Amino acid sequence: MTTPNPNKPRAVEISVGYKALSPKQKDRIEKIEVNPAEGDAPPWDALTEYKTVGTDVDRTDGIQKATGRAKYAYDINFPDLQQAMILRAPIARGTLKSLFLDEARAMPGITAVVALKKNGNKIRLVGDAVAAVSGKTLDLVRDAIEKIRADYETEQHNVDYLMDEDAPMIDAKGQLDEEWDEDSEVDMALTDATHTHTGTYRTEVQTHSSLETHGNTCRWDGDNLEIWASTQATFGIQGELARGLGAHNINVESVDVHAEFVGGGFGSKFSAGIEGLACALLAHEAKKPVKLMLDRHEEHTAAGNRPSALMQVRGGIDKDGKITAWDWRSFGGCGYNGRGGAVRYPNYYMNGAATRRKHKDIACDTDPARSMRAPGYPQGWFGAEMFLDELAAKASMDPLAFRLKNDSEAMRHDQWQFAADKFGWDKARAKKNDPNERYVTGVGCASARWGQLGRHGGRRQRYGMTCRIHPDGMVEARNGSQDIGTGLKTVLQILTAEELGIPASRVRAITGHTADPLGPASGGSTTTPSIAPAVRHAAFLAKNELIALVADHLGVPKKNVTCANGKVGTKDASLDFTEACKLVGQTPIEVHGERFPNYRDKPFHPGVCGVQFAEVRVDTWTGEVQVTRMFGIQDCGLVIAKKLAESQVIGAMIQGVSYAIHEQRIMDQRSGRMLNGDFLRYKITGSKDLPDIECHMHSVANGHNNTGAAGLGEPPSTATAAAIGNAVFHAIGAPVRHIPITPEKVLAAIASK
Amino acid sequence: MSHPPDHGVSRRSFLKGSAVAGIATTGITAATKAAAGPPTPDSFGPGEHEITLSVNGAKQRVKVETRTTLLDALRDRMDMTGAKKICDRGACGGCTVLVDDMPTNSCLTLAMDAVGTEVRTVEGLSNGDKTHPLVKNFVTCDALQCGFCTPGMVMSSLACLEKHDKPTPEQMRQDLSGNLCRCGTYGRVMEAIDKTANGGGK
Repeated sequence: MTTPNPNKPRAVEISVGYKALSPKQKDRIEKIEVNPAEGDAPPWDALTEYKTVGTDVDRTDGIQKATGRAKYAYDINFPDLQQAMILRAPIARGTLKSLFLDEARAMPGITAVVALKKNGNKIRLVGDAVAAVSGKTLDLVRDAIEKIRADYETEQHNVDYLMDEDAPMIDAKGQLDEEWDEDSEVDMALTDATHTHTGTYRTEVQTHSSLETHGNTCRWDGDNLEIWASTQATFGIQGELARGLGAHNINVESVDVHAEFVGGGFGSKFSAGIEGLACALLAHEAKKPVKLMLDRHEEHTAAGNRPSALMQVRGGIDKDGKITAWDWRSFGGCGYNGRGGAVRYPNYYMNGAATRRKHKDIACDTDPARSMRAPGYPQGWFGAEMFLDELAAKASMDPLAFRLKNDSEAMRHDQWQFAADKFGWDKARAKKNDPNERYVTGVGCASARWGQLGRHGGRRQRYGMTCRIHPDGMVEARNGSQDIGTGLKTVLQILTAEELGIPASRVRAITGHTADPLGPASGGSTTTPSIAPAVRHAAFLAKNELIALVADHLGVPKKNVTCANGKVGTKDASLDFTEACKLVGQTPIEVHGERFPNYRDKPFHPGVCGVQFAEVRVDTWTGEVQVTRMFGIQDCGLVIAKKLAESQVIGAMIQGVSYAIHEQRIMDQRSGRMLNGDFLRYKITGSKDLPDIECHMHSVANGHNNTGAAGLGEPPSTATAAAIGNAVFHAIGAPVRHIPITPEKVLAAIASK
Repeated sequence: MSHPPDHGVSRRSFLKGSAVAGIATTGITAATKAAAGPPTPDSFGPGEHEITLSVNGAKQRVKVETRTTLLDALRDRMDMTGAKKICDRGACGGCTVLVDDMPTNSCLTLAMDAVGTEVRTVEGLSNGDKTHPLVKNFVTCDALQCGFCTPGMVMSSLACLEKHDKPTPEQMRQDLSGNLCRCGTYGRVMEAIDKTANGGGK
């Protein structure tokens, strides 16, 4: 090894790419030069042979969850814990005129009552938070809430974005009924096209439906707030709460956030929200710890959602089936703030085509959108990928062949071919349904895409990791970010074990406490790609310290000592890892690893790719759709925890089934309320709707940092609804362009043929 | 304020309530038992009463109101937070416990209705080093992600295994149909049941 020059990063040649997915294909591995930061762990690459990474290690906190011992925010108890609830406005739009809290305050067992709105404040949705109460039990709190009198001045509301004056017209056939603006390039491409097509596609509001509702438990010690939160941003809510409490003239010395276990988030839990602030205020007033968790109705109606979308595409292809024109306009059906409805589409299909894209968000008097698992993607993918199938049908082309012709991402070509073989596409697609049969089947496919390779830190500070080697041989890996079910703790465990050459069971991973090093919010599928390189760096530094101790002990130069396969030493003399750790003495080795910026060099692939195939069975008498089979392949850069990664992909596909055929928020225009704000009437996919699902993880070395992990949570959720929509189109021979694909829409589509 | 005997509570006032449909199974079981017990007062409340619940084989005294659900009694008054409150309306199965071997939504069961029954919760499946094979198989099959539905899934799976020696996929789907999971673990829960039925995890 040469002496590092601090002024000049040393260039290292690494191999990037991936091994062939099937014997029919070739490895795609190439060499690139990268410049790791001084002192960083040397990069892993496509040729690295792993011992633990990519194997089926069990979820490290699985046993705590399966035994019921895991403590979520909802489960935190103290002897004098107070329960709390929020009073919510019954009107969709208006003003709070008066609020009387005294009677509630005097009710038995009540310890605090706070106003969350002042007289004159606007009410923006049914469910807007007005006041909060804490007391000895939830039943007593409910009694007290009933004693609060609030008077409102109501205004005319609208809870249907399509009724807004900014909304476009839709004709009887469901087509968006408005002239297109002129665009010489697109217009010419459409005129020159061999086949053209126009289609309007719609999606409905989906609620995140995390099983643990939003909420927290708060406890004050002087001016220090300790909070156990159901959050996907431990560090994010620290400042938010301090600022929010400051605005209520409460002095905050520190905010200590715990989120060791979080019952799902899916994008809805970045903010502490009004429930976080209210809980802290109540605990402050009560001078006792307070728990405030939303109930299921509040979760559906006032904790965010994936907004609806209305999309229209017109496009054209040349005689070879190549897309030459792509004209897209979309509208997002948003909540009262009119934000968050932006829709994306798979732009890798129309490279070189004349394209135009327009979008407008429309507000209505409902709960605002929050990011939800690939915000804007499943909507846009549904519209675009269904449009592709309709366009392919016009040209009498097989949808897969059509995609292979137009998809500009080389990696996905391998995935398409591998997955089509596995799924049995050709045979399933060729099967003809008997027109006299009650049940018909169909298959469809769609692509997945996401673009996250991780970040190195926040505005002021880089992400970090603590790694400790204890004298008893136990290794500790700590980061303050939260594991919301994605498997972050297991990722910490596996990477640390790999670097130190020990079994994963020797590593204890701890996440979800802001006393530990800074980590990202669980958003944009960035948590693992952002933290992984810091995990490795910390383990690498700890390893070097242990190697130094062993070298001293053995009387050999450090450079000759390795730490691998459970042994530390040279090939002539070595110690078992546990023996080596005894040299540490009483105080553990403790190092701080750092997340360096990604290598500036171009990665092998700038994001992640995937494809999905779906098979459906449609009952032509009732219109009911059953998704019978799915196959997905997903790249996430380096696959670290294989079993967990598969779980996440399969889970995204099940959520996609739900989105495609089950979920829909139903609003009542007259009262402004959500009519199905519970799990009885807001249907999510259950065990009886479960398709036979298989997935294949595609491990790719992108060469963008020492580890090369990329995002996984969101990418597989982009494709599913689109693949199912296409399968229904294939089955019944008519497109259902509006999800959820309910029986009535299926019957209408069949009747329209 | 009257004090209910430990072994039985009058059902009449409760069974007239709106929650009857959801608790039908346990309500009837408990009511039958109560009818066989000594005479009881006609009504209880308002305020708290001390009752004795038998949970995982241990008798525990706990103060509840007549309206306190078994779920709230377990979670808030006995600090047994394995059973989860997810919908609080019997729609998701997150609060599933076994009441006299019957999988039951503890959010739809009044604590007083559980007097005289044998309640089993997820906590009863592990004790020190001993862990039920089903629980171990949940981990090895990765039948959980965020883990919030998991205790309920485990209890419904246990009931499925107690009902069927070797449950078929259809029987598993049926017995899990009251449990919702947002992360999408159903398939792997079924694998865990199957593995347990075939002797795995011992």
